[in-house]
This record gives sequence, C-alpha cells and structure tokens, in this order.
Amino acid sequence: MSSEPLLRVENLKTQFFTESGTVRAVDGISFDVHEGEIVGLVGESGAGKSVASMSLLRLVDDPGEIVGGEISYRGETIFGLEEGPDGELREREEMLSESEMRERIRGREIAVIFQDPMETLNPVFTVGGQLREFIELNRDLPSDEAKAQAIDMLREVGIPDPKERYEEYPHQFSGGMRQRVLIAMALACEPNLIIADEPTTALDVTVEGQILDLVDDLQDRYDTSFIWVTHDMGVVAEICDRVNVMYLGEIVEQAPVDELFYETNHPYTNALLDSMPRPDRTVEELDPIEGVMPEAINPPSGCRFHPRCPDAREVCTRVHPEPLEVDRADGYPHRAACVKHDVFDVGYDESVPLEAGDEAETGVGETGTEANVDSDSPLEEDQASTDGGESER
Amino acid sequence: MSTPDDPIGFGESDSSHGETLLEIEGLTKYFAADSGLFAGLNFEPDQFPPVSVGIDQVEAVDDVSFEIKKGETLGLVGESGCGKSTLGRTILRLLDPTDGTIRFKGEDLAELSGEQLRQKRSEIQMIFQDPQSSLDPRMKVGRIIEEPMQAHDMFDDEGREARAKELLEKVGLDPRHYNRYPHAFSGGQRQRINLARALSVDPDFVVCDEPVSALDVSIQAQVMNTMEELQDEFGLTYLFIAHDLSVIRHISDRVAVMYLGHIVELAAKEELFENPQHPYTKALLESIPVPDPRESGARGVLEGEVPSPQDPPSGCRFRTRCPRLIAPEEYDVSDEEWAHTRAFMRAVKRRTFEATSAAELRRKFFDGELPRGEAGEIVDEAIDLLATDRDRDGEGDGTVTEDDWNDAAELLLESFAERSICARKRPAYDLESEYGSETHFAACHLHR
Ligand SMILES: Nc1ncnc2c1ncn2[C@@H]1O[C@H](COP(=O)(O)OP(=O)(O)OP(=O)(O)O)[C@@H](O)[C@H]1O
Ligand code: SF4
Ligand code: SF4
Ligand SMILES: [Mg+2]
Repeated sequence: MSSEPLLRVENLKTQFFTESGTVRAVDGISFDVHEGEIVGLVGESGAGKSVASMSLLRLVDDPGEIVGGEISYRGETIFGLEEGPDGELREREEMLSESEMRERIRGREIAVIFQDPMETLNPVFTVGGQLREFIELNRDLPSDEAKAQAIDMLREVGIPDPKERYEEYPHQFSGGMRQRVLIAMALACEPNLIIADEPTTALDVTVEGQILDLVDDLQDRYDTSFIWVTHDMGVVAEICDRVNVMYLGEIVEQAPVDELFYETNHPYTNALLDSMPRPDRTVEELDPIEGVMPEAINPPSGCRFHPRCPDAREVCTRVHPEPLEVDRADGYPHRAACVKHDVFDVGYDESVPLEAGDEAETGVGETGTEANVDSDSPLEEDQASTDGGESER
Repeated sequence: MSTPDDPIGFGESDSSHGETLLEIEGLTKYFAADSGLFAGLNFEPDQFPPVSVGIDQVEAVDDVSFEIKKGETLGLVGESGCGKSTLGRTILRLLDPTDGTIRFKGEDLAELSGEQLRQKRSEIQMIFQDPQSSLDPRMKVGRIIEEPMQAHDMFDDEGREARAKELLEKVGLDPRHYNRYPHAFSGGQRQRINLARALSVDPDFVVCDEPVSALDVSIQAQVMNTMEELQDEFGLTYLFIAHDLSVIRHISDRVAVMYLGHIVELAAKEELFENPQHPYTKALLESIPVPDPRESGARGVLEGEVPSPQDPPSGCRFRTRCPRLIAPEEYDVSDEEWAHTRAFMRAVKRRTFEATSAAELRRKFFDGELPRGEAGEIVDEAIDLLATDRDRDGEGDGTVTEDDWNDAAELLLESFAERSICARKRPAYDLESEYGSETHFAACHLHR
C-alpha cells in the first residue's frame, strides 16, 4: 500500500430529499481503492451500496444529491466542497466539470456495470452495433476498426460465435451473455477502475462462476481495479482483496478479506456471517439477526445497529461510533465502528447491557413508517398485483 | 392436541410420520411453444379436430418421479428455467399435467377435477417467491389470512379471526397487526403473512417456491427458522424449491437436482452434498462461491449454456455441456484423446476460435497428436474443413466459409456426440449411499 490510492473517498454523504423527509442514504463513508485491487462494498438491501457507487461518478439523480465529502481520482477532484466567503458550502474550483466527467472520466477512466443489463443495452439496436458505437465514440476509431474491436471484445468475454452474435438483439442473449456484453463494454476503453453493482446477483451460480472467472482473468491481464458491490459474502470471499461492510448508510467495518472473515471486529459483520446457511457444510442452527434494518430516513440514535445488536449496551444508544483502526494487516488498516473496542474509550465495559431483543421487535411497521401503518386506506401506489397468490418469476 | 370443540386447534393429520405422503410418477408437463396464437399447432385436415399440438413444445417437465414422506422436506434445486416451478405447480394442479400420476395420500390428484380438486386444495398449499406481489395490497392482513378458510368454509367469523390471530403469533408477528395493510410490512414480514395464510386451512403439504430468495440473508434465516418450527409443530411436509444451494442444504432432508426438465440426482442431503454422483450436481456445487476466503472454489466449471427446452438433447439432457460425456464405444480412444476430441468438437460447435492453419489447430487442440484410428480420421477431416492452408482442389483462397464451419460441426457431432451412450439412452441408476441408507438416484451413464 505504498502507492497513492487510485480513488479516495472521504466522508461522502448523499441524501435524497423526499416528501416524507431526508433520506441519508450514504452518510459519511470513507474508503480507498488502490491500483489492481478488488474492493468489496457489501451489505443488505437498502444499506446504500448502489447510491454510494453512483455517487462516485456523480450519477445521482434528483431528488438525490451529494451533500458532502470528497472524491478524488488520481489527484483530480471528482467531488469536493469548500466554504465560501459567506460561510456557504460551494463546489471547489478544481472540481471536474460535468463535461470533463462525461468526456474524460466516465467510461474511459472509470466504467460502471449495472445489475440489470437491460438498463444499459437498448433493446432496439443490435448488441454489436451498440458496442461498436460505444468504442467509436470513446476511442475515436473509424467504424470498421471499431467493429473489429467489438467482435474481438465479444470473443474475449466468451460470447460464442461472436461474428454471428454481433448482429443479434439483446433479447436474443441470455442473462449471462448480456452481462458479458456489459463487461465487454466496460473494458472497451481499458479503464483503470470498474464499478460493478451486483453484476452477478441475477445470474445462476454456474453462470456467476463463469463471470467471476472471466473477471479474474481479465484483471490479471489488464490490472484493472474493481469496486464490487454485492450482498453475497460468498462472492466477497471469492474475489475481493479488501472489503467495506455497509449498514444503514455507513461503513461499519473495513478490512482485508481474510481479516474480515477470520478476525471479525464488528458485531454486524459477525451476525451476517452467523445467519448465513453454508454451501460447504451443514449448519443445523442458523442464528438470525433480530429485527430488520430500519429506514435511512430516521436512523436509530448512537450506533445505528444498536436495536439489533446482541452486544449492545446503554452507551451504544448515545455514542455514534465512526470506523476507527482496531488492527492492521498487510499494511492495511482494519477499521470497525463499534464502541466495544478499546480505542473508543467511552465506557462500554461499565455500561449496562440492553435487554436482548428489546428494541429489535420494532420492524418496518413500527419505525419510520408508523404514520401510515394504522391508516384505514391501503397505499395507492401498491396496487400492481392483486391475484392473491400466483406470481410469475 | 386439538379436540373437536376447539375451533383454533390444528387438526392432526391422518397419515403418520415417515409414510409416503406424495408419490409422483412419470409426471410430465409440456407447454405449446411460444405464446404466439398458433405456435405449436399443426393443421391436420385428415383428423378431427383438424388442429393438433405439434412437435413445437416446451418440455418443461419430462417424466419425473419421486416420493415425499410425511414430515420431511424435499429440496428441489436447479437453475432458472429448469422446470422447478412448473413441477411445483403441476403437483398442486395449478397446471394440468400432460402425463403421469400425482398420488397424494393414495389418491391421484391428476385424475381429480372440479369440486373434488377444490376440496383437496385445503390439504395442499403453496407459498411463492415474491412476498410483494403475492399479497393483495387492498386487503388487511387479517382478511388475507382468513380468505382460504372462508373459501373452504372453515369456522365462523369469530373462529376465523381467532385462528388468524393465533397464526400471526405462530409465524412471529404481532397479532395486533391483524388490521394492517401489507405495505406496512417488510419483505420478511410479508413472507410470514404468506406462511400464515398457507397454514390457515391446516394443510399437510406445502409447496414453497423460492420462499426466501427475495430476502436478505439475515431475514432469510429468520423465516427459515420459523418454517422449521412450524413444520415440527404441525407435522408439515414441504417441497422446498430454491436455486440457492446453501438454503437447500440447510432446510432439506433429501434433495432433488433438476436440469432441463429432468431430475438428474436425488439423495439424502448429506449424501448429495458430500458424495454427489452426477456431473451436473458436481458442477453446481463447485460453482458456489464459498464464504471463506481461504477456500478458493473451482468456479466456472461448466461451459456453454442450457439448451432450449423446446429441443432438448436426446438421452441425457446434460450431455451438451457435460465435462464427462462418454466416448462412443465404436472408437478405440484413450481418455486423453477423447478429452481432446470432446473439447475440439465443442469449440467448433460454439466457434470459440478463429480458423487457422491445420498444424496450428492440431497443436492447439490435440498437442499435435490426433487420436488413433477412425476417430483420428474424422477429426482430421474436420480440421481440414477449418484449416486456412488446406488443399482446396485449386479453388478458393483458403477462406473458411460459413458452410465449412457448419459441415465441420455436423461431422463432429454426428460422429461423436450423437453416438455416445449419453445421447442414445436416458440414464437412470439407483446407487448405494455412502452417507445413510437411502437410495441414491443418479441419472448418469457413468454408473452403468
Ligand atoms: N431515488 C431515491 N429516492 C429516495 N430514496 C432513495 C432513492 N434511491 C435510493 N434511496 C434510498 O437510499 C437508501 C440506500 O439505497 P441503495 O439503493 O443504495 O441500497 P443498496 O444497498 O444498493 O440496496 P440493494 O441491495 O437493495 O441494491 C435506501 O434507503 C433507499 O430507499
Ligand atoms: S457500538 Fe454497541 S450497538 Fe453498535 S455494534 Fe458495537 S456493541 Fe453493537
Ligand atoms: S450420462 Fe453422459 S452426458 Fe449425462 S451426465 Fe453422465 S456422463 Fe455426462
Ligand atoms: Mg443496490
């Protein structure tokens, strides 16, 4: 970790200003990505993984907004604020403009792979045509060269019979093949960093295996860095070098992958690992985390995990822990946001344990959405399906 | 223990633990291919009616047999599109079987219809993957749970309400939530409502189609634990459909693995996971990312993609991707020679390489040495079609055409793949288990 990081994120905050209030989707996260590494962003649904990854390229849409923090890529400022003369926060001058982001950064330096390939691929154009156009635009190649490149890329990511397939439409590709096309597209400009948001989650395990292999192989060859967003600890163990565990908009633990699994330092990570059934051995008893993750609109006080944490004590309801270094491994910090650790020194040991499961009972029905829970009318927007049973996958 | 005058009591089942509750035999479900109006229909003027279902069918489930014992959980695992849900729905008679029997407590459900079938439905229930869309958002939770009871004329209003509240508690929800609407619940809680609803009519058997797939791991564990508790308490029997092998391993007593409409392997859980005997099962198990960074899996162990169920391969349906595809008996080739030939055949079929010189092809796929005898001659012929430097009787410029590729692929497939026992005969073998004493079914000719 001698080198400067490729990407540095500091205290990033992204919020959504909705009618029911401000959603603190990403609430002050910091992490680095170094040259050639795969950094995991893992957490349950709604933890803020996708919003965080979109923020890195400044792709957050209304009503969302990055409201604080710094993102720098190779010394350039993707996002950064400063205090103006009247005390107002304003964008710093060296911050890249929207057109610089579009022309220099997105796709060329940092590429994204979305979870749903159909979001990126246009159903009315051929797969090859879209890939060719992308290469043409981003690499200033003439059309025929771009086409040859596109076919090469398709072959490289393992699309059989790429010349024929070039002429086909997205719907003629299976899910796994579409995901390969996206990878081809992401690789087309030989970016330094690829942000992959759950790229294999919708795929079958044998196909996922093929894709993970492909990524490994391509990474060996191009030395591309990855931010790999997933909720699957298996995938994390399989491909990540370092991992950030997210809970309710925050990073609660950050460690090299081996340390994360073997020297786990945050009760949430621990609980996640204990609640997981295993493919490699029979677990007789699963130990689930109690309750559900509360809404980001109204997070619990103190440590956000305290209503569900088996180790929670009174102090946890008052003190909000930032991730602090509790250990080091391979020159990388192992950080945990939990006051149990001595570095916090807030009197955890003397504090009274919270009654187990005390607050965990409160689920979606009781926090945040309380307002409409007992109303007598059902939600309008929710009327999509009413067949009361059958649902096609 | 329930007594007749206890309206909330859960009736004990008439069949006792360990007996066969459900036995399906030769169960088959074909769909007309394509949803197009006339797709799959043939016009046949010589017969009446002159339109019949032609060969254009999707063979979603093909000749499947197994049994489920009272009180057990049979896990059914397979990749998307393999026919798991169709099988589940056909057993429930939500779909009409094309062929086969579904014997439930000795009675063939495939034969039932109308009122008889409706009555049986209270004994068999189903819960689905998507807790969002399977609950009517305009109905309060209480009514959602009571609906099936009402449909089966169980209890009076008060009795139903009492039972619904008790069920809410059983599935781990607050009975006070009786008057809430589904939108006030999280995904995991909605799945619990589904469970309560399914259990309201006191079924013996529940088909669970990916009941926890949409849930986060921590919530998954909660729901699975509840399902297991309820199973113990009410003596439920589950057919648990999932694509996630970890979930299957946790919850099942026995496991059936499905591939393209066939059951390819069925064994007791420990036996299946620790001693898999079908190449597909092995590939599945090797592909799962293990949540342990010190264990690095083999991963992308399978080539290619699942063929269309509209035109499934003959014999063993896994043969187009099987890493162990058996050499046809007529050729005298070593294991290594066969491995080379098999890889070459598939590469040609999938066109994963570009045409090049004959010497280069030989080197790339055969380490320079072609198989002995007739097999080698066939390979040589195929290489000749794809070589850029072949002798083309003076015509052409060495370009390998589309036709050449097709000819080469056809030659190889017909000479090798189609002649393998894997293509000629559907495999079905009963083996002895290493773990436990139950039969271990494996549909693979390696066990011939
Ligand atoms: N357009 C939006 N408007 C309002 N809130 C939003 C919007 N997009 C995301 N959020 C909120 O931001 C929080 C983080 O969401 P995000 O999509 O990043 O989660 P995630 O970790 O990616 O989850 P998943 O695993 O389900 O993809 C959630 O509370 C979500 O409801
Ligand atoms: S700070 Fe307290 S509540 Fe939070 S994870 Fe640590 S022990 Fe649990
Ligand atoms: S029967 Fe043949 S093709 Fe099928 S799994 Fe066995 S070896 Fe493979
Ligand atoms: Mg997401």
